[in-house]
Formats: sequence, C-alpha cells, structure tokens
Amino acid sequence: MRDVAIIGCGMTKFGRSQGDLMDILVEASLRAMDHAGASDSDFDSVYVGNMMAGELVHQTAIASSLVDRINLVPAAAERVENGPASGASAVKNGFLAVASGAADLVLVAGGEKMTTADTDVVTDLVSTMTHPTAEYVHGVTLPAMAALLTRLYMERYGLTERHLAMVAVKNHANGMKNPYAHIQRPCTIEGAMSSAMIADPLRLYYACPISDGAAAVVLCSMEKARKFTDKPVRIAGFGHATDVQTLQEREDPAVLKSVKLASQQAFKMAKLGPKDIDVIETHDAFEILEIVQSEDAGFFEKGKGHLAVERGVTALDGELPINPSGGLKAKGHPVGATGVAQIVELVWQLRSEAGERQVKDPKKAFACNFGGFGNNTVIHILERAW
Amino acid sequence: MEQKFIGFKCKSCGRVMYPKHDRCLSCRGREFDEIELGKEATLITYTKLYAIPEGIEMPPLVLGIVEFPGGCRTLCQLTTDEPKIGMKLSPVWGKLRKIGGKEVYGFKFEPAKKG
Repeated sequence: MRDVAIIGCGMTKFGRSQGDLMDILVEASLRAMDHAGASDSDFDSVYVGNMMAGELVHQTAIASSLVDRINLVPAAAERVENGPASGASAVKNGFLAVASGAADLVLVAGGEKMTTADTDVVTDLVSTMTHPTAEYVHGVTLPAMAALLTRLYMERYGLTERHLAMVAVKNHANGMKNPYAHIQRPCTIEGAMSSAMIADPLRLYYACPISDGAAAVVLCSMEKARKFTDKPVRIAGFGHATDVQTLQEREDPAVLKSVKLASQQAFKMAKLGPKDIDVIETHDAFEILEIVQSEDAGFFEKGKGHLAVERGVTALDGELPINPSGGLKAKGHPVGATGVAQIVELVWQLRSEAGERQVKDPKKAFACNFGGFGNNTVIHILERAW
Repeated sequence: MEQKFIGFKCKSCGRVMYPKHDRCLSCRGREFDEIELGKEATLITYTKLYAIPEGIEMPPLVLGIVEFPGGCRTLCQLTTDEPKIGMKLSPVWGKLRKIGGKEVYGFKFEPAKKG
C-alpha cells in the first residue's frame, strides 16, 4: 500500500445553516480544495459521508450532485453510509482508493442537514439504527442507550454525575475557542447538573445538540503531496470493527469492543501505541462516551477514564487533550459530517492552524468515530509528515 | 393463554441467544430450537426516559436490561417506577407502544412475585 497524505481540509460553521445540504457540502469541499491548493486539479474520486439525506431532506445520490455543483465531473463519486460513522467510513474509503493506487487525488466530504426536521423526527430516525424487534419496538432512543451505559458505569466504576458535567464543561470551554463550533457559550458544573433530565441519569447537557454542518479533506499519494503543501499529514493507520447490534448482547455491555478492536488495528498499522498520541477527538454524542472510548481505545485503564477527566489530563493544556474542537457536545454532531470534521480538527492541530484552541506541538493524533451505539467504530491515526 | 419469553438455542453447540441471529454467534450453526428463557430475570441497568418517542403515552418510560439465569439478556420496558439494580423481574405480555398509529405488543417486565 502507498502512503496517503491529507493535503488540505475545510468545514462549515456547525449549527443552524442558511444553506441546504448541497450548499454546505459545496462550501466545505471548496474550502478543502482551496486549502490544499488543488482547486485546478483533476480529482479521481469523491466520497461523501452522509447518513440520512433521503429521510431528512428528501434528496438521494448526493455525491453525483456534489461533483456536478463543483465541476469535478467525471470523477468517480459515491455516498458512504455507516450511521454516525459515515464520515470516517468515507475517509477510510478515500484512504484505500489512494493507498491501493486506484486513485491519486481524492475529495472526501461529509455532511448532514438536520435542523429543518423536528427533534422528534430526528430522534426517531436515529433510533432506527437500533435492533428493530429487540430494541426499537420498546421505545429505546440513543439517549436511553447512553443512560443505560452510564448507569452501568456508575454502579461498577464509581463514576458520578459530576464527572459527566466536567466533560461537558471542558468541551464547552474548548468549543468557545472554536469559531466552527455550534455551541458558543460557557457551561458550569452547576448549570450542567441542573439542566433538564432527558434519560435519567443523563441530562440535556450531557448530550450533543442537533446541528447542520459539513466538512471535507483532500487526500493524495504522499509522493505527490509535496507538490501541494509542505505540511502533509500522513494517515498512519486506520481500524474498523463491529460488534453485535444490541447493547445487552455484548460480552460486557460496559465495554465498547468495536472501539477496542478498531483501535488495536489502527495502532498496529501505524506501528504506534496509545502513549505516542498527543491529541484525540472522540465521538462524545453523550459525555459518557468520551470517557468509555478513551478507556477502550487504550489511553486509560478500564474504569479510570473519569479520574483522568477529574485530574485535568484531558483538558486543552493537559497531558492528553481530548476534543480540543469542543467535541460533538459543543461543536455539534451533523452525523454524516462528524467523522470528517474530527479529521479536519486534527489536521489543523497537527499543522498548528487551530488558533486559540491549539494544543502544544502535537505530532500524532487519534480520531474515534462511532456508528450505531458502539457497534461499528472507525479509528484513524494521523501524523505530521514533515 | 400464557406467553413464554423465548430464546434461541443453537442445535450444534447449545449456545442460547436473544434476539435471533441467522447464524450462531459461537459456531455459525444455522438451526435453532426455541426455548423458554425463564420466568425471572435480574435487572442490571435501567433508565427513566423523559424525552419519550412517539407512541409512548406518558413520561417517564422506564427501560432496563435484564439478565436471565442462563446469561441471556434483553432490553425491556419496566412496569415499576422504582427500579433497583439486582431486583428480580418477570416477563408479562402487554402493549408496548404505538408505531405509525398501530399498537405494538411484546414483553414488559414487572417485579417478580415473592415465593
């Protein structure tokens, strides 16, 4: 396999966008192409991560539409759907296309337009990811799943609600330093802990908002990367693994085995370990997930992730900053965009282009994008290649 | 008519599963016997859902995961408002919710009768 470089990236401001789904995909794509200095180049392939365009905005075959809008015809184009991990799956597909030699220059975009639909409709559509007869029919929603996992953690590992609030406070603070983040207001421990209960013990502030947004990256072979940039970021490894669909049937419902396996694969491919990583983006659709993922990916001992939060290890100026972007909690979670936006943030971090939220001199970065409720995880490890 | 909570026992290796898979999670066998999972199960986690989905009448919707003696677990609605981890619960057939305006039936779990 050939080495693959990310040579440029861009995204839209997450939140409530004026434009429709195609408008925001176009905006993010052009920003990434301009950032890469590849606007005048011929692209071989385009991958578009998106979960629910057909259901939410009544539009299908959006990759064909994107290449038409931005004149990348006749590049190969396809939509990639893998639930909330659609974005990272699209990046993975782009990586494989370049690594295999099938393509030299690839655009990967991800986007979702969610705010035009009612919250009930969005929550229900997302709930259709669950098992139709063993989960969905009972009225389970993704917040309910997160609450069931949170309660297990509280019982077993001594996690308290305060720890969830600490993650929220950290991510809000990071988000306020990110002009692309949806939520731009501070959050206090007391404020978080008195927010509305949505799924006991999960309050509103322990869950991500509903957002519109798009993000994009440009990939090319490492040998050609230097023609475009003197700061190429190498995709050092990826991992992708699944688990049984229902939470209750997993070997241990408190363990995200797909995160574990995908992380191990990615570390093996990159010939790196958790200690080599300088900055992380996790899939904190619910704050409990930042803690559990950081453990199952191998950064902290099982059951000790919340202690790292308590000690400030995961803060922007801590030893291992997690979610400098504000995470899904503050940046927002336009589902198809999320996995791509994580990569965008980490590319900016590695290139020292992250402004006020810049982590000190990171060289290696780790992204965890999570589909279903933890039964389909895509990991990427990035590193500076200069 | 009494309804029994049914699981699926692999004819090749004997592993019991719920819900049904088309191939056994252990040995990939494709044939299963239907067996009753039990009249009692233990609550291992729960939530009270206040942001309820369409077709549920009143918040909170109390949901839990229970474990049968053989180790099989199921997600379910609980009839009690005072769930406690470790409590014993029994399956009872009833209306779960409406989906698309139609009533859907299945097992809920209620506190087990003592003795």
